[in-house]
Amino acid sequence: MRSVDVLVIGGGLVGCATACRLAGAGASVELIEASYLNAGASGANAGSLHFQIERRFLENGDALADQAAQILSLNRLAIDEWRGLEAELGDSLHVHMRGGLMVAQTPQELALLEAKVARETAGGLPSRLIDGEEARAIAPVLSPSIVAASYLESEGHADPKALTLAFAAEAERQGARLSLGARAVAARRVHDGYEITVETGRTRSSIRASKVLIAAGAWSGRMGELFNLHLPIFPVALLMNVTERAPPLIDQLIQHVGRRLSMKQAYAGNILIGGGWPSRMRLDASGRFDPGQQADLIETSLRGNLAVAVDVAPQVAQLNLIRSWTAVTAVTADQLPLVGEVPQAPGVYVAAGGSAFTLGPTFARLLARQILDEPEDRLRLFSPARFSHLNSFMGMAGA
Amino acid sequence: MNVREDYDLIVVGGGPAGQAACLALQDRLARVAVIDEQSRPGGQILRQPPRAFTVSNWQAGGTYRKLKAQLRAFETLSGVDWLGGRSVLDVRAEGDGWRVLVSDGAQVASLRTRRVLIAAGCYDMTTPLPGWTLPGVMSAGAVQAFVKSQRLTPGRRIALAGSHPLQLLVAEQIIEAGGEVPALAFAQSLQSALVQAARRPMTVLAHAPQLLKVLLGGLRLTASGCRIRFGDRPVEVVGEEQVQALRLASGAQIDCDAVALCFGFLPQSDLVRGMGLNVLQGRFGGWTAVHDPWMRSSRPGVYVAGETTGVKGAEAAGAEGALAGLAIALDEGLITSVEAERRARGPRRRRGRAIRFAELLDAIADPSVFLSQAQPADTILCRCEDVTQGAVDAAVATVETPNAVKLSTRCGMGPCQGRNCEHLLLQRMNSVEKAPQGFRARFPARPVRIGDLTA
Ligand SMILES: Cc1cc2nc3c(=O)[nH]c(=O)nc-3n(C[C@H](O)[C@H](O)[C@H](O)COP(=O)(O)OP(=O)(O)OC[C@H]3O[C@@H](n4cnc5c(N)ncnc54)[C@H](O)[C@@H]3O)c2cc1C
Ligand SMILES: Cc1cc2nc3c(=O)[nH]c(=O)nc-3n(C[C@H](O)[C@H](O)[C@H](O)COP(=O)(O)OP(=O)(O)OC[C@H]3O[C@@H](n4cnc5c(N)ncnc54)[C@H](O)[C@@H]3O)c2cc1C
Repeated sequence: MRSVDVLVIGGGLVGCATACRLAGAGASVELIEASYLNAGASGANAGSLHFQIERRFLENGDALADQAAQILSLNRLAIDEWRGLEAELGDSLHVHMRGGLMVAQTPQELALLEAKVARETAGGLPSRLIDGEEARAIAPVLSPSIVAASYLESEGHADPKALTLAFAAEAERQGARLSLGARAVAARRVHDGYEITVETGRTRSSIRASKVLIAAGAWSGRMGELFNLHLPIFPVALLMNVTERAPPLIDQLIQHVGRRLSMKQAYAGNILIGGGWPSRMRLDASGRFDPGQQADLIETSLRGNLAVAVDVAPQVAQLNLIRSWTAVTAVTADQLPLVGEVPQAPGVYVAAGGSAFTLGPTFARLLARQILDEPEDRLRLFSPARFSHLNSFMGMAGA
Repeated sequence: MNVREDYDLIVVGGGPAGQAACLALQDRLARVAVIDEQSRPGGQILRQPPRAFTVSNWQAGGTYRKLKAQLRAFETLSGVDWLGGRSVLDVRAEGDGWRVLVSDGAQVASLRTRRVLIAAGCYDMTTPLPGWTLPGVMSAGAVQAFVKSQRLTPGRRIALAGSHPLQLLVAEQIIEAGGEVPALAFAQSLQSALVQAARRPMTVLAHAPQLLKVLLGGLRLTASGCRIRFGDRPVEVVGEEQVQALRLASGAQIDCDAVALCFGFLPQSDLVRGMGLNVLQGRFGGWTAVHDPWMRSSRPGVYVAGETTGVKGAEAAGAEGALAGLAIALDEGLITSVEAERRARGPRRRRGRAIRFAELLDAIADPSVFLSQAQPADTILCRCEDVTQGAVDAAVATVETPNAVKLSTRCGMGPCQGRNCEHLLLQRMNSVEKAPQGFRARFPARPVRIGDLTA
């Protein structure tokens, strides 16, 4: 039986980056990925680096927005993290931090922006409110209907297809073992940690690990079940659209404060349009949501998403849509990421939920410190301890 | 032109298969639409020229007589809405029927239908070699489409190379349209073609007239100065900005200003796979829809016919279309099973005959002689995204699935959605028969202007 310090479940960005940080610090690490690297949300996301408070935190009242403001310190760390990534992992990540605009079209939206910028300023994020004219001076593609925007110079985008693979390659260089096509199917507690049963094709094997990290994205809730835990992580299916390659048109990340939109021009020239429009998840044989199946496109989402894009940047109407895809990511019960050790299962860590393309590399750096018992409390806000009540009667008694 | 929002049947494809289905239904189903990207019915083989300019002597020749008769009959059907010049972008299940998104180049309409027949035909199999992305290199089918609908040739001297006998026909059509064919190269040897024929004597006999016509065509070509070569495969298209010559394995260099490659066809499978119908993988990649003896697909209410179920010629396509039409009538309760069985006999016989001929043709036209030759690593494999074969091979060495190769190399990420490279990738993965899946099928089946979707 193999034995490691840390077993990482899931070969998306979060798993690969954390494995990389752990191995870099000298831990023996194995990562198991049920399918292939980047098969989940990490290989299918929009690649936005958004550090302003997200629209989704603004649409559900003040309490949530207050909480979201606390995420800003993490966002500030993430900005620094991203500035260093290409120097560390190579320049093929297409990191493009040329600014981001969150736009408003109505007086109500402008009010939202003002409140948001005030929270950001209080939280130390250097965003600023600009009027429509200034927004168009920065991004001429914007429509005359844009009345204002909040602008943050460090926002932008990067290539999700490259980042996970770069972290995986670096993890291997640092001595981590990556097992692909290897699915965690069972777990049991042993005296010095956990024994995980892994299915690879038709064969089963076991791995012993002192600590386990669940980094299984939308599957993390199910992974929790292997440890007799409730992890309040829910799969959600989203829509993304991509145009043909176009001449340079959009240099910034463009978002909307009142409507669902994220838009950018990726390095190859294609314009990516998303923003959180729902797709329809398929069900498995037992009638539960199945994050592993391709979700179905919803026509109203498609038309709605493109309509916002055209409304904000009219020139986009002239471009050809070449592909729309659906992909499944994870949200937690309170929308904040769930990162840290589960109190009822010592040695079991989880990292899921939130905008983990933007934040994934930062989670990885901080979480690795936590796993290696280094002092680290910058993740306190995201600790699974806030859902302890769900696990009052759960967990696994020690062997 | 009539467009309703609700149909009993939508047929995708107005080729021999789609037409035959409508003819079998004999206007007994009230609300039927046939949607085709071409403005007029006919499919790939007829490709009617636009009405605006009439071409005299369009598609003369006996091969086309029957097809033209069918086309005329189809055009007189009164109960069919012909929705030409429109692309089907997507078909998805909705309630007990299907939702079809159709682009007319200005708007995207959303139609509902209870039943769907996919009769979308096939397209030329892309076969890369050094220089194939130069302007002036095209598929034989594209040359033919050009010649058929406009009576123009896309070059003055067009060299042909491939393994499919269709190139003999294409050469003749080029010459008739005023072009020149300096050479026509078959990758396989004449012996191997003859051996394949000798293995199927009954089929050869049964199709002697067609085969004779091919031979005569070959002789006419030779007489007109075109040299037909056997056992000589193309190795490079030479040129700077534009095609200058075609180099063959024998070392021969043929001066020309265009090159047409003709190694066979792949079924259109974008809609079929997007709908989640069961498919089988073909020998060289490509996907054929699975069906029962009545051309019912694996999902209720969906029928498949023609080259969608495998490339086997216009005759088989027509027969399958007729069967699908009968099945639809039967499933609608418009005819009894006795009547359906009786009327299915003819099409079944024709289909069987045509399939045997298609098997003979497949054996003769086998492109493996060419496909099994490794191309240089810097040969472009995915031309939408400029991905080389070397880059794909490097990825194939480290990952398991076509989607993973797509993610790491961009192969298949361009506007063609992998139509032109997925089969190549599957060939490189050396698992064409085994690989359970190719790329995930994604919306839309054809690129569409964003403004059309928001209009
Ligand atoms: C359409 C879309 C757009 C998005 N846009 C953005 C954006 O612009 N910016 C941003 O910051 N975030 C964005 N996100 C969110 C972001 O993609 C995710 O937060 C992030 O990728 C999560 O990474 P992960 O490694 O946790 O999960 P994943 O990438 O989903 O990885 C989980 C992995 O676990 C594997 N796995 C599952 N079960 C098992 C098992 N039993 N054993 C072993 N392995 C298993 C899966 O195969 C998968 O590879 C977007 C998400 C989507 C879907
Ligand atoms: C370029 C080309 C040239 C050919 N030339 C010959 C020839 O000269 N002689 C010969 O014997 N055989 C030829 N073939 C083979 C011939 O096409 C078939 O044997 C026969 O036409 C098949 O009939 P079908 O009805 O299955 O498909 P087709 O005749 O191909 O009809 C399918 C129709 O579906 C339409 N279609 C497909 N997808 C969509 C969509 N998403 N939305 C809207 N419409 C759609 C297409 O425009 C097409 O008109 C050719 C094939 C090709 C691809």
